[in-house]
Amino acid sequence: MGINTILFSVLSVLTIFCAIMVIASKNPVHSVLWLVATFFTISGHYILLNAQFLAIVNIIVYAGAIMVLFLFVIMLMNLNSNTEQRKNLWMKLAGIVSAGMLLWILISAVRTYTEQLGKQKLNATFNTGNIGLIKNLGSVLFTQYAFPFEICSVLFLSAMVGAVVIGKKQ
Amino acid sequence: MNAIILSAILGVIMMFCSAFVKNKKSYKVVAFIGLIILLIANIIETYSHSFFTFPLYGMLSFDRFGLYLNSLIIVSVIIYFFLSSSEIEHVGEHVAEYFALIIFSLCGIFILTSFSNLLTLFLGIEIMSIPLYILTGSQKMSLISNEASLKYFLMGSFSTGLMLMGIALIYGGTETFDIAKIVNVHGGNISFLEVTGMLLMVASLCFKVSAAPFHFWTPDVYDGAPSVFTSFMATIIKIGGFIGFIRFLSARAEQTNVDYNNTFGIDWHFIFAIIIIATLIFGNITAIFQRSVKRMLAYSSIAQAGFMLFALFSMNDVSKEGFLLYAVAYSFATIGIFAILSKMSDVTLDGYNGLAKTHPALAFANVIFLLSLAGIPLTAGFFAKYYMLSSAVEVKGYLWLVIAGVIFAAISAYYYFRVIQSMYFKEGTTEFQYEISKPFTIGVIVLAILVILVGVFPQTILNYLYF
Repeated sequence: MGINTILFSVLSVLTIFCAIMVIASKNPVHSVLWLVATFFTISGHYILLNAQFLAIVNIIVYAGAIMVLFLFVIMLMNLNSNTEQRKNLWMKLAGIVSAGMLLWILISAVRTYTEQLGKQKLNATFNTGNIGLIKNLGSVLFTQYAFPFEICSVLFLSAMVGAVVIGKKQ
Repeated sequence: MNAIILSAILGVIMMFCSAFVKNKKSYKVVAFIGLIILLIANIIETYSHSFFTFPLYGMLSFDRFGLYLNSLIIVSVIIYFFLSSSEIEHVGEHVAEYFALIIFSLCGIFILTSFSNLLTLFLGIEIMSIPLYILTGSQKMSLISNEASLKYFLMGSFSTGLMLMGIALIYGGTETFDIAKIVNVHGGNISFLEVTGMLLMVASLCFKVSAAPFHFWTPDVYDGAPSVFTSFMATIIKIGGFIGFIRFLSARAEQTNVDYNNTFGIDWHFIFAIIIIATLIFGNITAIFQRSVKRMLAYSSIAQAGFMLFALFSMNDVSKEGFLLYAVAYSFATIGIFAILSKMSDVTLDGYNGLAKTHPALAFANVIFLLSLAGIPLTAGFFAKYYMLSSAVEVKGYLWLVIAGVIFAAISAYYYFRVIQSMYFKEGTTEFQYEISKPFTIGVIVLAILVILVGVFPQTILNYLYF
């Protein structure tokens, strides 16, 4: 068992724990902080896969910019547990049943996949791919993925127009 | 390619119009001319070549079916603008932006008619739906509109999340984003990750086309949005969503079919049979109890989605032709009904009382649209439903589904005929919020004649698919 496997296991346990805490904590501000922690641990996974650029961008954009905005919004809205509506018991039950079924499918997917991998003696590899380096990412972005990259501009343009339409005073 | 690039440019032009053109009436003229140029460019691409060529690396692939659907969608939007653009001017301040958003969302549909990569599928769906969240909430002073917009946005982003999860799993199972590439990563076995990913993708796409059990957003959103934009959402966007769904499944479903050599896989026929039955039941039964015609049309759009799902269920040549006809019949009829509805001040059944006495021409056109939606012979809806059901007959062992489809088509006649009953057999005066102009009446009548012509000669529409 190499250092990579140990790091991977520790990071995975941390990620799952943080992600559960996001939905389990009562206070919305705590939820957001746990979410920031989740982003950090996921960035750790990216580094393990040798995708440094992605890891840094993930921290700067998500954990840094978006989550801070999120915190501001939540603090301005002044939410607390009193304003939260009580959920219907049947709704809870239905939620548990459907989420449990999804979990069942996902677990069976992972199980079968590992069985198949085991048959073919394939193993996930750490620290080998170099697609995540900035140089490769840039060249792929402007050759193979040029069309999706450019058409994103329409998406952002329409989102910006929308923000102005919604936000401007009438 | 022409349609995608030119529609993006047209959207930008519409945005600039709001800054430089002061007269609000001229926006629709610009949009109109732009759309006609778009239509011509698309027809040129269908028959000879594209104006723009650059390496796409398999992100898009253009075929006759997709290009022809582009043309039909542009024609529908031209009709929609002709009948309803004066109501768009009444929705709010930012008229040019509404036109721009509609055209941006068209750009997304044009991507959906030609994508061949999961990345472009995702981008197409997003470009199509993000402008809609804004259009839904464009009546800023109306609480219902705001609620509808927020609800649509939250649910829509959740379903997009599901789609991304599905794409990630499919990539994990096949190591490619390309939808057409058949990959045997694991020595001929399907990866279970791909199967799970496909299920999540189907759930998310079912949300976009409002198929049960993912339809709960539809009535509230369609009811809350301004009527003109409901018309756009219920027709053109829904067709766009279906095209994406059909292209995706017709490329990918084969790989994950249940195979006797494999221990697992997906029985697509069975899954879609369940979805269709659930959609038909929810859509039709709930529509019966509605007093508001706008809400009834929202439920009827769910029910019609149930019939369009037959194209996904049977996946053969007949269903492809049937889908084309259905797209035309459904969107023409619904655009017509909504064009009249969005001019009325009272959108309940009582609001329609006595329409036949005051505006006989409008009432008659409305009858034809409603008959077409119900699938009565001599209107376009009949052959659309006929093609859909006959494509399902070709699938062995699912005759019960066809019979159920016929029964629900009969049930749907009940709530469509109630509107006709109000118009012709009840006393009252219909009040209109906006004036009915002469060109509008003529436009509605021409649309009704078109619906009948398509119903009598369905082959004229289908011929262009091949010649």
